[in-house]
Amino acid sequence: MNVLVLLRHLLRRHGHALLLLAAANALFAWAITRVVPAASQTAFVQELLDMAPAPVRVLLGEEVVANVSARGFLGFGYVHPFALLLLSVWAVRVATGALAGEVGKGTMDLIGARPVSRSAQVAAAAVAVFAGLTAIAAALWAGTAVGLQFRVLEGVSAPDFVPVAAMSLLLFAALGAIALLVSATRREGGTAVSWCAGILAGSYVLDYLARVWSAIGFLRPLSLFRYYEPQRILREGVSTGDVAVLAVVGAVALAAAFAVFARRDL
Amino acid sequence: MPPTAPAITADGLAKRFGTVRALEDLSLRVEQGEVFGFLGPNGAGKTTTIRLLLGLIAPSAGRATVLGHTVQLGGAAWRSDIGYLPGEVAFWSHLTGGQTLDFLARLSQRPPVDRAGLLDRLGLGAEVLARPVRTYSDGMRQKLGLVQALQCRPALALLDEPTKGLDPLVQQAFYGIVADLRRRGATAFISSHVLTEVERLCDRVAMLRAGRVVFAGDVEQVRRAQRRRVVAAFAKAVDQQALAHFGAVVEAGELEVTLLVTQEELPALVARLGMLPLVDLVIEPPSLEEAFLEHYR
Repeated sequence: MNVLVLLRHLLRRHGHALLLLAAANALFAWAITRVVPAASQTAFVQELLDMAPAPVRVLLGEEVVANVSARGFLGFGYVHPFALLLLSVWAVRVATGALAGEVGKGTMDLIGARPVSRSAQVAAAAVAVFAGLTAIAAALWAGTAVGLQFRVLEGVSAPDFVPVAAMSLLLFAALGAIALLVSATRREGGTAVSWCAGILAGSYVLDYLARVWSAIGFLRPLSLFRYYEPQRILREGVSTGDVAVLAVVGAVALAAAFAVFARRDL
Repeated sequence: MPPTAPAITADGLAKRFGTVRALEDLSLRVEQGEVFGFLGPNGAGKTTTIRLLLGLIAPSAGRATVLGHTVQLGGAAWRSDIGYLPGEVAFWSHLTGGQTLDFLARLSQRPPVDRAGLLDRLGLGAEVLARPVRTYSDGMRQKLGLVQALQCRPALALLDEPTKGLDPLVQQAFYGIVADLRRRGATAFISSHVLTEVERLCDRVAMLRAGRVVFAGDVEQVRRAQRRRVVAAFAKAVDQQALAHFGAVVEAGELEVTLLVTQEELPALVARLGMLPLVDLVIEPPSLEEAFLEHYR
């Protein structure tokens, strides 16, 4: 029961941010559908991309560069740093605010002195992170779906992007679980945010550099972003292996967060 | 909890933060229905003790029971009978006072039966409760802290510096609230360094110094054991050294002498003074403050 009370408290506290992040992601996905090249423009865009430097082409994604298509461009929207940033903000904000943030501000004493188990606190934070990520990922897909209602693109349908949005949710659920683990070990919200931002940015940069620089290509599996490739999902479907890696990392990090928080001094 | 079980026991409780010893070998027992004062200067370990009793932090050694339950970090259910006011009370700035009380009452899993009465006595009106807590003064926050701690009628109230930031009128109201707690058989564990307050409110006290209990006992017992300050004024100079047999002379003027005298020494001193050209005699009642200062000097 107290999980629900805490969950309501968290959602009330972060509700405005959630609305803003979801709306921004929906608007962003909708905007992408407006700028996707039509079939008549693809030859010109293909020429431009062929001239682009390798790092830029890597950033855009293999399918976009190799074979310019509306699907590929829309898929690029799902790995665009802006969309990823909005998902990251929610995962880090809620995970760090719920545990380390409450400890740092001193409000954890009021919660911890009541009949609230440590596991209920972590569970409420985990549900809030996941529920918010679901809403933001759903908003991202909804933006695409609404955009495609107003701009018909040959061979592209909104349901194609459901697995992509679902994988973005899984990726950030895993990162959110890592953020919860960090939060469970820290005494200040600010310190936890710094750690999480470092881990997220480090993971993203590692994935990018490993794709651009073949000498460190072997390090790519260490980045969680390696297991989230929208254009490959659109082309080949969801990889069971990627799902398994993200799910296992998320589950292990969450279990560790429960274990650490249950044993620490508040 | 069995009716005869103590409200709080601590047995060899210790806490270290790295190399810092915050608490050493603390043993005490607080009975049900007792108002217990926990005295000590800043940094003595009062807050650490309360946080240990609540299971917010784990002891480095020893064990404690609260309301008959062994205190553990994970244990939760027994805390519904506890009201806690932290020493540095902090709230969620985005919530109003009313929302804060509702949220914390729901977490306590008990109805806030005493909320209205407490708000009335502490002077927190509906208009104040409708405002976000971030707009509150320190005193208003402290009042809100007291209400959240006591609104669900706890069997045990752990109050860390409860009158900090309260004006004298509200302090009086708080004393009345503690008297009501005592009347209905609740236990109060009050940490403070305001001696007059502890003296007024508490049945027993423990004094803490540098993480160790240096004294524990009845307030009255402390007071009795304490030496009285006696100031005697004379019409003409007397042999002050002769008075030293009846107590410790701490100040000696030509026509006035001040002594510290135990309760047992007092009758003999008064009899002796009666034989001298006495013009004035002041016997100050012993206070907890004297005992406190004696222990901490």
